[in-house]
Amino acid sequence: MLSRVAENLYWMGRYLERAENTARFINSTTQVLLDLPRDAAFGWDVLLKVAGVDHEFATRYQRADEDSLMPFLIEDEKNPSSILSSIHNARENARTVREVLPMELWERINSLYLYIRENAARAKQGRGPRNEVLLGVIGRRESIIGLLTGSMSRDIAYQLIKLGRNLERADMTTRIVDVNSAVQLPADPALASLTSLRMWISSLNALSAYQMYRNHVGVHVRANDVVNYLLKNPHFPRTVLHCLAEIEGCLSVLPDHGAAMKKVRQAWRRVEAMQLDDLKPVVLHEYLDQVQRDLGDVHSAVARQYFHLHHQASEQ
Amino acid sequence: MSIELHNYPQPATYDELIDDQLQPRPAARTLFGYLDRLGTTELMARREAVDAAIMAMGITFTVYSEAGNIDRAWPFDLVPRTMSLKEWKRIDAGLKQRLTALNLFINDLYNDQKIVKDGVFPIEVLEGSKNFRAQCKGMTPRFGVWAHVCGTDLVRDSDGTVYVLEDNLRVPSGVSYMLENRELMKRLFPELFKSSDILPIDDYPTQLFDTLAALSPRPGDRPVVVVLTPGIYNSAYFEHSYLAQKMGAILVEGSDLVVQADDCVYMKTISGLRRVDVIYRRIDDDFLDPEAFRPDSALGVPGLMRAWRAGNVGIANAPGAGVADDKVVYTFVPQIIKYYLDQEAILPNVPSFMCMVADQRDHVLANLDKLVVKPANESGGYGMLIGPRAAPEERAKFADLIRANPRNYMAQPTLSISTAPTLIDDKLAPRHLDLRPFVLQSDKLYATTGGLTRVALREGSLVVNSSQGGGSKDTWIINTGEA
Repeated sequence: MLSRVAENLYWMGRYLERAENTARFINSTTQVLLDLPRDAAFGWDVLLKVAGVDHEFATRYQRADEDSLMPFLIEDEKNPSSILSSIHNARENARTVREVLPMELWERINSLYLYIRENAARAKQGRGPRNEVLLGVIGRRESIIGLLTGSMSRDIAYQLIKLGRNLERADMTTRIVDVNSAVQLPADPALASLTSLRMWISSLNALSAYQMYRNHVGVHVRANDVVNYLLKNPHFPRTVLHCLAEIEGCLSVLPDHGAAMKKVRQAWRRVEAMQLDDLKPVVLHEYLDQVQRDLGDVHSAVARQYFHLHHQASEQ
Repeated sequence: MSIELHNYPQPATYDELIDDQLQPRPAARTLFGYLDRLGTTELMARREAVDAAIMAMGITFTVYSEAGNIDRAWPFDLVPRTMSLKEWKRIDAGLKQRLTALNLFINDLYNDQKIVKDGVFPIEVLEGSKNFRAQCKGMTPRFGVWAHVCGTDLVRDSDGTVYVLEDNLRVPSGVSYMLENRELMKRLFPELFKSSDILPIDDYPTQLFDTLAALSPRPGDRPVVVVLTPGIYNSAYFEHSYLAQKMGAILVEGSDLVVQADDCVYMKTISGLRRVDVIYRRIDDDFLDPEAFRPDSALGVPGLMRAWRAGNVGIANAPGAGVADDKVVYTFVPQIIKYYLDQEAILPNVPSFMCMVADQRDHVLANLDKLVVKPANESGGYGMLIGPRAAPEERAKFADLIRANPRNYMAQPTLSISTAPTLIDDKLAPRHLDLRPFVLQSDKLYATTGGLTRVALREGSLVVNSSQGGGSKDTWIINTGEA
């Protein structure tokens, strides 16, 4: 497979996942806001850091609040991680590799793009419409995954898309867990505990994980259990360890995977060894940062191994 | 019943399917019998199914616009153009004769130039040729063949004579639409293909692959064949992708290829560099290799000409093959055939006037209102003057252009190009059309059975190019049992 095609497939997988995850991230944040008691404060600037878009945001906006942040995350064409940009980028990636993809995939991606372009304005009409529009993005994205799963050979192209998807997904799971560090809990201990409970339920909901959590962990939502579950549970498809296992599986099919595999296992061991119980928010935040850096190392190793020849061209 | 033939207008010129008595010609009889039984309502229903099928099959061409490039559905008319096998056999022989002679001609021009020395082909025409590439001098590609894929445009005049309008020897396109049109017809009218003797066309991708594979510098191996595309913004990108898929070849862009110090071409894969044997390039010469041609080209591959000259890679069509794709060179083709093959041309040229010859130029300038004037090196119908339809100012502008650069222009009488019944709204109406067969040559010769029929969908229009309101039809070569 050509390096250029490989890279386009990988980024198509990442961008589609990023679009869906950003939609989930926004819905989760909205949920947290709704559940906050009056005297709890929400740090919009912390949220920007968690989403990894604080620098980009600061170049064009004075103040971070819901009204400026949401359009920035949903439809800002200048924000390379906005939902609209992500879907646009995925579409451009897909255009150049149509010959290795199932025929209908292009049409689905195209219609996802048209959907968000036509509905972005409606998302500004309030939290209700916003939620609805974002659920529309998530549903359409899920149908794309369904199409790939049901109609694409498990060839190298498939593995590269899946690799990109899981890397992006693991990264976003750490960020959604990290949203909670943006909340300053109220002084009253009873209220603080209630607020904390609500926040963790929101995190589980954002990842469509609440029901599975109840089935497999228990009915009580506790911070320690949720963090452990979302990072370490091997069976739920959005946990960090599950995504790393998927990445390992994809790499095993690709040629010359030694260096990248080493990075995946290193990330795996580090998450596995993390002692996650009773962490202070600031420490949890540091741990999550470490996971994100490890995932970044996996990306770099993949890019060095498979995409570097393509990049030599642009440097010449 | 609007598809009944008595509603069809009395043909104003030769009609491909209908004779002067408004009866179907022999090759079209089965078709009209079928359309009669089908009835208008059912025909309309199938036409609606066409549009859905075109979308589902993803047959598109790209239209440039300010809002970005849009993929348009390919305009398709479901009434096929028919021709008898008897007539086609003569055309087939004429096409092969023509390409054989043109390849001998190109090889001669880049080597001994005997045809110039023997006074058959004027040196002034060669010197004025934009597409003669000095970088190719002294080369003889494998089999002496330069143009491996040729799209020859044919038109029929009112007296029934089929003329060659032009030879496209650079990067002719349209063959994917020929193949897809047949797929569409089979989906829509499966019954017809059971009952009549329509000759198949679907071996083209295999023939193309064999033609290309024969150019491999490493015979014996299964050669690595790539299709080199300028990329997704090219109007024929669909075709590049389509042919690569059908041949099991790899679709590459210039940046995917690299020429190493060993003068071999490699493609950049996830497992490292892999040697490429044959390149079916769909990029013009100018952009092929920034070391040899335009240095600003970002589409090409630096060093590609070096690799080709060293015999380490086959390129189809060979660089420089376009020298024979020139509307002034075209006027010499009958002499070229005579010179190299000692045969008369089976397919005649449209009578042409060369503006570089003084008395012919005078004739052209005096008769601009009756002639079509074409620049030597444009394609796609651009830069032409259709005299009878042009405003006086436009004719005056062309007169100046011709006087300023006579070598760059030739003129032809306006032909009364043939028509065929085309479904317009719910009626059959005559529309002008041409035919582009595709001819292949490497170790052997092959011509498609029929070709791509392009039709001008606007009433009275003679312009069949897809970029300018043209559509297409399936082309049926029918075995009518005549010898």
